[in-house]
Amino acid sequence: MITLEHVTKLYGSVIGVNDVTVALGAGAHGLLGPNGAGKTTFLGLVTGQLRPTLGTVRVFGEQPFGNPRVLRRIGYCPAADLLDRTVTPRAWVRYLVRLAGFSAAAAAARADHALEQVGLTAAARRPLVTLSKGMRQRAKLAGAIAHDPDLVVLDEPFNGLDPVARHDLVALVRSWATARSLIVASHLLHEVESLDAGLAVILGGRLVASGGAAEIRGLVDALPGEVTIRCAEPRQFAELAFRIGGVEGVRIEGDAVIVATHRPVAFVEQAAVRALDEGLHLGEVVPADRSLEGIFGQLVRLHRGVKA
Amino acid sequence: MSSEHAGLPAAVWTVAMFQLARLVTWPRLAMAAVGVVFPAGVMLAAGRAARGGFPSDVSVALLYALIPEAVCMLGLLVTMCPAVADELERGTWAHVATRPQGRRALLLGTWLAAVLWTGTVAIAALLLALCVADVERPAAVAVMFTALILLSCVGRAALFALPAVVLPKRALVASVGVALVVEYLAGTIPAVVNQATVSLRLRSLLVDWMAWKRKLPTEMQLFIDPQPAWLHVLAVAVLTVVLLAAAVFILERRQFPPSDEV
Repeated sequence: MITLEHVTKLYGSVIGVNDVTVALGAGAHGLLGPNGAGKTTFLGLVTGQLRPTLGTVRVFGEQPFGNPRVLRRIGYCPAADLLDRTVTPRAWVRYLVRLAGFSAAAAAARADHALEQVGLTAAARRPLVTLSKGMRQRAKLAGAIAHDPDLVVLDEPFNGLDPVARHDLVALVRSWATARSLIVASHLLHEVESLDAGLAVILGGRLVASGGAAEIRGLVDALPGEVTIRCAEPRQFAELAFRIGGVEGVRIEGDAVIVATHRPVAFVEQAAVRALDEGLHLGEVVPADRSLEGIFGQLVRLHRGVKA
Repeated sequence: MSSEHAGLPAAVWTVAMFQLARLVTWPRLAMAAVGVVFPAGVMLAAGRAARGGFPSDVSVALLYALIPEAVCMLGLLVTMCPAVADELERGTWAHVATRPQGRRALLLGTWLAAVLWTGTVAIAALLLALCVADVERPAAVAVMFTALILLSCVGRAALFALPAVVLPKRALVASVGVALVVEYLAGTIPAVVNQATVSLRLRSLLVDWMAWKRKLPTEMQLFIDPQPAWLHVLAVAVLTVVLLAAAVFILERRQFPPSDEV
């Protein structure tokens, strides 16, 4: 359905995406990466807003930039909030459906149905500016699905939503994904995991991993975690750390000793006892970073062939 | 599903109606009201300052300067220039740009909305000004000015479409520059370059339709083109088509990085 071959997108001297090669088949896909990673640029290339500087992009077998045949089959919900002061969700969704090429009568029927699907019928005639952020998100989603596209592309669709609204929207998006193809970009792993989607992880414009959620988890779990220990005698502590089993690597940054290990808890227990025995003065112990940022960092090092 | 589909004209009309609905806000209506009232106010004030009032020809010349030139120009600056910048600021550009005919319908629809909105304001201003101006054959003058207003709006909205797509975030400044350099500088140079301006066509039509040619001093005749009226109308139409085609061509190739949007 979507193929990118050695795609690079430059904005002047700034890299949006860097040498990305990926093939996404029909079905649901999560695009995961922190803010500024290149997710929106990736989606801009797929939805025909941007042309690659290098490489080729194909969606439904054709290049998407300015291609009405491809654009007719795509529904896009951008991350940017709708800031139109005067327009109602009903008028907005009708407008978008009309621009997708439908007659006024068909646009009205489709818009009303889409607003009903996202639970916005009651607020459909209120100006967008009077709606909550969650309701505006729903209006955007209605605009993306109302013309019944084959591929729905959602950029950070759950941003700014309260937990209840988030839960409802996740359920809604999951139900769509059973009938059509879907790409959801997010910086939150659990949001994308909850969609049962294949994952592509992007960082610094590079695709650093792709596969099913279990594959990504397995890849992450196979990586050693990093424990940071602040110590008055970092060199002596680094020597001590090397003598403990399961340690993959040690580096010193100022008074911090950073230890890569598959068994961080056991390492800390043993290291603390030995350090006391040898009269070393430990300051702070920071456990392995298993946050998404930490995982991204490890995936990048793995991608570059650097052993953690 | 194919029977449900509508073409580009329907999409352009949709955008025009959508943009007109957006213009119905108190600040925009207040600006329009000022546009309607100020030519009549100027005519009144100038008439009182002249004590005995003006000759009809002077009133017509003043109406020309105030309405097809000033009101139309200012109205088009605020309605046509933000065609793309407004979409970027409102976070709606990406929605429109990912529709099959979104980009060209956005430009052409905004152009149509600018013409309809500004034309309506200018014609209302004309009717009010004619109530206070001392002109001979006011009905004929009203018809003539309606034609000049329509030509001014159609041609100049197309002219401002170019800065709107080339420099969307500086479109207003760029359009003021274009108005000054193209319409008022190049338009008054008695050379081939003025043939491509709307102002030359409008001035020439005014002189032709008011039968002023024989009254004009020889040096003033340098600033008009003594072609038949139909040729001036055709020239404005051709200029409009060329400018809009160029603007659509550019907009369909424009790319905005995500950071350009709100």
